[in-house]
Amino acid sequence: MTTVQASTAVLGHPAPRRLGRFFSGGVALDRSLPSTLLFGVTALLLATGTLPVMDGELVLAGLTAAFVASLVSRLAGRASLTGDVGVVVPLVQLGAAGLLSAGTATPAVLVLALAPALTLVAGPGRRGVLLAALGTAAVLLLPDLLGSGSSPAEALFLAPLAVGLGGLGVNETTRRIGSQATRIERLEAERDQLLAQVQSRADELDLATRMLAARAQTMTSVIDAVTEQSIIGTDVDGIIRVWNPGAEKMLGLPRPDVVRRRSILEFHLPEELEAAGDDAEATPGLAALVRAAQEQGSDVRDWTYVAADGQQRTVAVAITPRTDDEGRHAGWNFVGTDMTEARATERMKDQFVSLISHELRTPLTSILGYLELVLDDDDQPLTDEQRSYLTTVERNADRLLRLVGDLLFTAQVDAGRFTLTPADVDLATVVRAAEESVRVTAANASVEVVVDVPSDGLVVPGDAVRLGQACDNLVSNAVKFTPAGGRVTLSLRSAWQTPDGEIVAEPCPDAAQVAQLAVSDTGIGIPTTEQGKMFSRFFRASTAQKNAVPGVGLGLAITKAITTAHGGTLDLLSAEGAGTTFTLTLPL
Amino acid sequence: MDVTGLRVLVADDEDDIRALVALAVRKAGCTVVDSVADGSAALDLLRVELPDLAVLDVSMPGATGLEVCAALRADPATAGIRILLLSAGASLDDVAAGLAAGADAYLAKPFSISGLVHQVHALTARQPA
Repeated sequence: MTTVQASTAVLGHPAPRRLGRFFSGGVALDRSLPSTLLFGVTALLLATGTLPVMDGELVLAGLTAAFVASLVSRLAGRASLTGDVGVVVPLVQLGAAGLLSAGTATPAVLVLALAPALTLVAGPGRRGVLLAALGTAAVLLLPDLLGSGSSPAEALFLAPLAVGLGGLGVNETTRRIGSQATRIERLEAERDQLLAQVQSRADELDLATRMLAARAQTMTSVIDAVTEQSIIGTDVDGIIRVWNPGAEKMLGLPRPDVVRRRSILEFHLPEELEAAGDDAEATPGLAALVRAAQEQGSDVRDWTYVAADGQQRTVAVAITPRTDDEGRHAGWNFVGTDMTEARATERMKDQFVSLISHELRTPLTSILGYLELVLDDDDQPLTDEQRSYLTTVERNADRLLRLVGDLLFTAQVDAGRFTLTPADVDLATVVRAAEESVRVTAANASVEVVVDVPSDGLVVPGDAVRLGQACDNLVSNAVKFTPAGGRVTLSLRSAWQTPDGEIVAEPCPDAAQVAQLAVSDTGIGIPTTEQGKMFSRFFRASTAQKNAVPGVGLGLAITKAITTAHGGTLDLLSAEGAGTTFTLTLPL
Repeated sequence: MDVTGLRVLVADDEDDIRALVALAVRKAGCTVVDSVADGSAALDLLRVELPDLAVLDVSMPGATGLEVCAALRADPATAGIRILLLSAGASLDDVAAGLAAGADAYLAKPFSISGLVHQVHALTARQPA
């Protein structure tokens, strides 16, 4: 940039431009200055008596003309007058020279005519040459005309001829120099324009370079600020090119020891790469590591990183391909989050849940088993009172057992270890079974349960046990939340679901057949503001708490999880004080 | 169905449950030849007593029910003993593991006494493999 500016300054020196203007014609008035000086000297010589004054009037007229010409020349120069003024001034000066020559009767004074004659011939076009020749002839004739002397006839003929011919040469030279000067000026203008373009291009480049540098700096500073995640970039061969502080911390090696020196594979367990690789591959390598990312565009999974000290870390690594500025594949990015502790915690949670589940089931097995022995002992029959007490114990032990089951199931859903055993399940049977299981409770609570299912059944693909659990939850909830005298309706029907999710009774194009189970009650209802939270774990509606309906708030969360796992939906419609309808929709 | 006199060995590390299972087995009309709390002790006794049925808890010290199961099946002398596994784990994986180890039936805890009696009847009625 500095070089460009410097050269502009040198090349753009203004001197040649003024030279050009001098030769380009038009403003020829500057050139009358020598004549003015010569007239001044002549006036001085007259004043001192060095030159004789033969005719005072002629001398006065000559000096006056010279003075006027000088004055016009100065004024015209200042006002930048052009055109004919440039011709008139030297012509007047020629006249002045002729008058002074006649007035002093000294031919030497004719030297004064030289400067204006030159000025005329140097002007633009041939007109100046003709004027100069004629002017010279007039000046030489002037003493004869005024009767103050005579010039030799040869002089009268030769002088204008000399002025004319010489003037032509001068005029041609001046013209050529003038046109060259014009060309130089045009070239200079073009050069200046080019220089300006170069300069603006240089400025743009400079700006772009600075922006790129700033962006690179931002990227680097962001990457360097990441200390808890490893960001590793490799080339296409897996050689490490980017290694952030997070990677330094996680793997225990400083950047200079790694960049361009090591392969990403050195930080992986060979057996893991082998397990991920193709059977056909002889050596496990980069291909195994990036296969999924190559096929799907990105890949996130757990890998074991081996740190410099040999310690192994479980790291969730997001792998993505990287491209260069021309879109060509340039390498791979590996962004890793250390999950060692998190995975250990998850394992502990799993172990804890199964331990708790085991530890709670074992005493419950004893309680329920011995209760059964006592209740069913035909040899030692119980009194009605004893039987009633022990039935209460049994009911509560069952409740505890269900709770343990629900907690375990919730933990399995959380851990993603919740699997279905698919089979053909007749939902009508499931609904009837659910009604049967609440029959006693409903009768005791004076709640009527109405079952409306297709007589020939409705079969869906699913897990019979889990669907039964979902249905039981909905039905037992409905009974639980319906006051005495109320009614619970279980209605099952097949319907069609349009692509936008709408349920219609009749088949229509693009609609998929579904099974719909609606469990409606005339119960206490759920406040509108709480309806969105009903499927959250451990959430209980305020109406449930107000009415002291027992429960922990797991049933609906479990039902929702089961429904989702079957590819179905669970919706609720409720009005506080009027009742609630849960609709379970399952694909056929 | 008469299963009276069929010999059953019970193994569970929980004293209460071991006693409960023994009661249920007797209720089913069978004889309890022994009841132990340790897996390896159970295996030793099974090899000596050669009962008709072994009711084994999955999680036991010494050897797990699954290990005892596999050992019984591996030995031709004991391969004919019918096996009922009991476990507090109720997931499908647990059932699959139990059956893969060679058990004839699997019962999740808590089980009902009537259910256990029914299982015992079903297993002892079957001819030895």
